[in-house]
Amino acid sequence: MSDLSRRGLLKTAAALAGGGLLVGCAPGASRSATDLSYWHLMTGSDGAVMAGLVDAVNAANLGFRATQTVLAWGPPYYTKLAMASAGGRAPDVAIMHASRIAGYAPGGLLEPWDLDLLAEVGLHESDFPARVWEKCQYDGKPYAIALDTHPFVLYYNTEHARKAGVTDALRTMKSPEEFTEVATKLQQVTGKHGLSYGYLGDGSQMWRLFYTLYRQTGADMKLVPGQKAEVDEDAAVKTLKFIRSLLNDKIASRSGDGGTATAEFLHGESGMFFGGVWELPALKDAKLPVDAMPIPTLFGTQAAYADSHTFVLPRQSKVDPERRKHVYRMVAEILKRSVKWADGGHIPAYQPVTKSAEYLALKPQSNYAGIPAYVNYDPDVWFSGAGSDFQNYFSENVQNVFLGSGDPAAGFDGFVARLNKLLDRPQPV
Amino acid sequence: MSTAGGRLKAKRGETLTGWAFAAPFAVLFGLFLVVPAVYGLYLSFTGETLTGAGSGLVGLSNYADALRDPDMWKSLGNTLWFTLLSTVPLVVLSLALALLVNLGLPGRWLWRLSFFLPYLLASTVVVMFWSWMYNPTLGLINGVLAKFGGAPVAWLQDPKVAMLSVVITTLWWTIGFNFLLYLAALQNIPEQQFEAAAIDGAGKWRQLFSIVIPQLTPTTVLILMLQILASLKVFDQIYMLTNGGPGGKTRSIVQYIYESGFTGYRFGYSSAISYLFFALIVLVSLAQYKLINRRSAA
Repeated sequence: MSDLSRRGLLKTAAALAGGGLLVGCAPGASRSATDLSYWHLMTGSDGAVMAGLVDAVNAANLGFRATQTVLAWGPPYYTKLAMASAGGRAPDVAIMHASRIAGYAPGGLLEPWDLDLLAEVGLHESDFPARVWEKCQYDGKPYAIALDTHPFVLYYNTEHARKAGVTDALRTMKSPEEFTEVATKLQQVTGKHGLSYGYLGDGSQMWRLFYTLYRQTGADMKLVPGQKAEVDEDAAVKTLKFIRSLLNDKIASRSGDGGTATAEFLHGESGMFFGGVWELPALKDAKLPVDAMPIPTLFGTQAAYADSHTFVLPRQSKVDPERRKHVYRMVAEILKRSVKWADGGHIPAYQPVTKSAEYLALKPQSNYAGIPAYVNYDPDVWFSGAGSDFQNYFSENVQNVFLGSGDPAAGFDGFVARLNKLLDRPQPV
Repeated sequence: MSTAGGRLKAKRGETLTGWAFAAPFAVLFGLFLVVPAVYGLYLSFTGETLTGAGSGLVGLSNYADALRDPDMWKSLGNTLWFTLLSTVPLVVLSLALALLVNLGLPGRWLWRLSFFLPYLLASTVVVMFWSWMYNPTLGLINGVLAKFGGAPVAWLQDPKVAMLSVVITTLWWTIGFNFLLYLAALQNIPEQQFEAAAIDGAGKWRQLFSIVIPQLTPTTVLILMLQILASLKVFDQIYMLTNGGPGGKTRSIVQYIYESGFTGYRFGYSSAISYLFFALIVLVSLAQYKLINRRSAA
């Protein structure tokens, strides 16, 4: 190791800093029973809203104080959470995407919630949309309590829509041809693009749109370790061909990345925008004449890609029962205040909130409030989910198709081959 | 006799002091390098996963799996390709820049500063602004291209150019270090040699090839060694620029090790690949060492 290279030094420093941080973050045994540690990955406007909720709950003086630790979205968060749980020194409660539960629950990294204790704090199965509750189960037990559903939706510029005369068509379109027609009309109004969609270098974005439309064809995707992936290749090819037809530098940019797409839509250079509901605060801040709706059903079956932020109990080697009780209370209190969470664009999971007049008055949030009834999460398998390698593998094989230089069937086959390789390996959790 | 004994005692005292000074480093070295390295070697013979689901000795099967894994070979190939693409210009260009600056141009300090400055930046900063420059629609590079009537290029997303883009960023970022080594070596060549050569009628080019380059050989060897090792271990800028994409075309072996272990949860397997890669690095270093020894013996 006499060659002390720059990268080596950087890495060592990073490792040391990371190690120190981990030790620093780990809840020590000496912590009092009223001090709850709470990890999550909300930054930006979501982070501000979450901090507000935590403050509100703390201010209610319920006998505990939650301290939030915010970590970077994606692999950094999930790797740290998994390692903290594997070491038994995890936080008292953490946020996890519903799509990641299949990777954490089987390995014993999470502990199930106790239905009786939930009932004590006023939370019941009936308070959650059936499909959302279902996704939070593993092996018949509730491993997560959903905070929200955050789907991929369609935003549109109401001003441009009016000028193009497509305001009604936007609501009634139900085939790829009608969608293309609306997008073309909007393109004529903006003079640049009809639609903004950023996907370049971002597997999540590619997957969100693909999976929405793929499920609209009625096709399913079943991934069971030890078996070949069950997919519908015809449906996949049809979906990919349609997406590619939109990315023709006329309807939408062939090489749009996330930042460019948002900027384009914000500047009124396009009429529609495919994005997550979490983009809403930025669009509203820009004072754009914007509305939002579910992605229209273009292939016959109502379907929407979404994920949910959920509360989970990471495994701790020593559980303090009193602190655990406080965690239940804290989660219940946050859920009851989650109409605030809807400010970030998300659909609250807690039904009393989504049925409240206050929420229904929120526009455009309540336009897509019905999505949880037909939501589609990632396939249930340990390697799928938000910020996972699964989405990278999708992007690795499909980006060229989107860019117009790859064959749709070959791209999808490459993805499936990759899935089969993972399914064939011994399951690590 | 007594003096000899005294000297021995004094020597022992010095040795102890030496150890005491070395101890803080030695402890950290042992704790954070030797122990994890040995533990990693042990892990490579187990099926250990993040959750401990597959623990237990599995013999050499991780190594056998790795050697059969096309993705391992692909990322190793990418790494070697990157090493070749980056090492050659990082040596040749840094020499050229050092020679230029050494010519005695006006504002020499400014040249020196501007070539070296990027090296001081953190990889995150470098990646941040190169990502913007490479942006296919808003980026500076495509903007300039468009001025001259060029078609936009997806610098980081087109499989044909992605690796090249990574190399360009790396070049811009790290060339300063080699440049500085060369500059220092250049300034150490005695002026008299050039005067003598000039008297003998050698022109500038003749001087370059007969004096400068031979005199720089030890520096070139050092730079080459450091550069090859650094390039083989490439990770941070690629991970942030392309995340290994498009289509895995820029995924380095270190990234593959990271993915297998930390996001794929297979610690045993990723340890095995680490050790295979370690063996490769040792081989490369030995080969370089042999080559240098032969040269200096000749």
